[in-house]
Amino acid sequence: MDSKSSACSSPNPNPTLGPSKLMLAFRFLRALSLVRRTTPASSRTCRGRRIERAAYASMAYTAGASRAWSRAVLRRLHHRARRRAVAPRRLSTTAGNRAEALRRLVPGGGGMDYCTLLEETADYIKCLSMQVELMQGIVDSASSYGP
Amino acid sequence: MEKEGFWGLQWQSSGAKLPPELNSGSAASDQLPQCFLNLNWKQPMAHDADFESALSSLVSSPCSNPPASADGNGIGELIGRLGGICNSNDISPSSRYRSADASCYSTLLNSPPKLNLSVMDHRQQGRGGPPMPVNRVPGPHIGPFSAEPGFEDGAARLSCFAGRSSGSFAGQFGFLEPGNLSQASRSQSPKGGFGSCVGVGQSRSERPAHLEMEMRSKIGGSSTPEATELGNGPEESSLSDRMTADASTLRAITDNNSGKWKTAAKRKGREAPLSSSATNPPANMTEEENSDAKRCKPADRNGGAKNAAVKPKTEQNGDPAHREGKDNDHKPPESPKDYIHVRARRGQATDAHSLAERVRREKISKRMKFLQDLVPGCNKVTGKAVMLDEIINYVQSLQRQVEFLSMKLATLNPQMDVSMENLLPKDMYQSRGLMPQPVYPAEIGTVLSYAHQPQTVALQSIVTSSLEAQFSLNSLQSSLQQSQSMQHATTDAYTDAPSQLGGLWEDDLQSVAQTGFGQNHGQTHASHMKIEL
Repeated sequence: MDSKSSACSSPNPNPTLGPSKLMLAFRFLRALSLVRRTTPASSRTCRGRRIERAAYASMAYTAGASRAWSRAVLRRLHHRARRRAVAPRRLSTTAGNRAEALRRLVPGGGGMDYCTLLEETADYIKCLSMQVELMQGIVDSASSYGP
Repeated sequence: MEKEGFWGLQWQSSGAKLPPELNSGSAASDQLPQCFLNLNWKQPMAHDADFESALSSLVSSPCSNPPASADGNGIGELIGRLGGICNSNDISPSSRYRSADASCYSTLLNSPPKLNLSVMDHRQQGRGGPPMPVNRVPGPHIGPFSAEPGFEDGAARLSCFAGRSSGSFAGQFGFLEPGNLSQASRSQSPKGGFGSCVGVGQSRSERPAHLEMEMRSKIGGSSTPEATELGNGPEESSLSDRMTADASTLRAITDNNSGKWKTAAKRKGREAPLSSSATNPPANMTEEENSDAKRCKPADRNGGAKNAAVKPKTEQNGDPAHREGKDNDHKPPESPKDYIHVRARRGQATDAHSLAERVRREKISKRMKFLQDLVPGCNKVTGKAVMLDEIINYVQSLQRQVEFLSMKLATLNPQMDVSMENLLPKDMYQSRGLMPQPVYPAEIGTVLSYAHQPQTVALQSIVTSSLEAQFSLNSLQSSLQQSQSMQHATTDAYTDAPSQLGGLWEDDLQSVAQTGFGQNHGQTHASHMKIEL
């Protein structure tokens, strides 16, 4: 959703320290509320995909534009917003070249050399794990609060 | 130019900045190649003292300049002197310069980042790339100094060759500091400097650079034994060998030992390409050896070096390394002048290709180690292939988790709708741009405080639980309490659209928000905030 991405325009406050968890939480929660508000409750898969896109978008914005993978993620999201494609995720074949498999997994990995790819992978893993932690926390508190 | 900008940007963003003094830049800088100085390499240089000492020795010995002066003029004079010496001798200036460049380069490379401080002054700032225009060189020495741009490249290349922790490019660039040259040569960390230097010079033509390097190193006059000492890293052995040879050659120049010099010069010619670009490594070598032409690198070399591949540099480094070894054998221990050289590892191939590859391999292994720490359970795994498999599996699992959790969040909907909207003050965020970090907990606290409905409790708990690990709960709770006591919002407000909420925010929360967002007051929140990756 465009609103998800348009809201976050501020640069990364900590370029040297890397993405901040607070920023990530802030962005993701906002996007999450937006999705909840705008999608009908009936279409769960649709909402689920939107939430996933919101997660990637908030991750990419928090990481900042200095990272190749974050730029690729945002590029992909903006393009897909028009074409209504599914959230991107590629399966890798370990049988083939591992470097290629990694390139497919990491957004924007196709156009960089191996060294940069490793660096981007490290940053991507960091952000991904932060995002997963956040989402897990939200789910846990939401489910614990429930019945 | 692009490359310069690129490098400059990269380095500045890396967070390591050269001391401002370096950038204060003086007119004297024109004598010295500027490129190396401008690099801000985030990786720390291991041996600052060494570098400085090397530099000072380098500068002071030939020029009798007071080592203490952190003036780049000393180096310029030094270069000028070399040029003068070169002119007086029959030896082809190009070869001489090359060796000088190489040796100087290596010295520079190894110097710790501190050196950059003084040296940078004379250099252009913001230049990530190595080569500086040759025109900087003072009039009479313009010919020989045409190599300067290459010098920078070479320096950069050298650092690459060293391939070590890139010690700090700054270090390499700092080599120019005249005051520190004398000690620098004795420093034990030539590697670091070289490594960083080489990387820097990638994008530039190296030819002129290495000439200067040789010249410099010669000026520094670090003895061969010192060189060995300096080139402790296996990788740098070849480079340091070369540098040693260069240094000795340079010394010969300064001593007007033409005989010695000639031999050395020839060798230097070969070695000069230390940092030269890959475009024509072998060609350079022969070219240097045979050419009696002026030192300044021919334009073609510089042009060719554009690709800034480390590999090309290593090629050239490799050849000089061979010579270095021979040189060392022939020459008696050098005078106490110090210079740092890059050496290839003992017993390993020293041609440019392998050196560049070695640097690349080191970079890759460094990153793999970092990844190993990130990916859980990778400590026991050995071997790149298995590690890569683990990394791929981990990334896949993370992505799957994100997908799964998002589906789950989609189904968890009803409990959080209202409070979610209240959580984020969109208007506040957008209007203020980036909020200072310490503010966030206060903001969230205030937002949460508004939701008096039962859902807000869940939201607060969610937020606190998810942020618990990283943030001090005290700050969050305190801010929550503060905001709760301060504000009261009707439930109607919560159901309104975000814009209304924003308006509500501004009306009622103005004071709170301002204190929160305005500046990072030394609020307790800020102090408690710990944001970790």
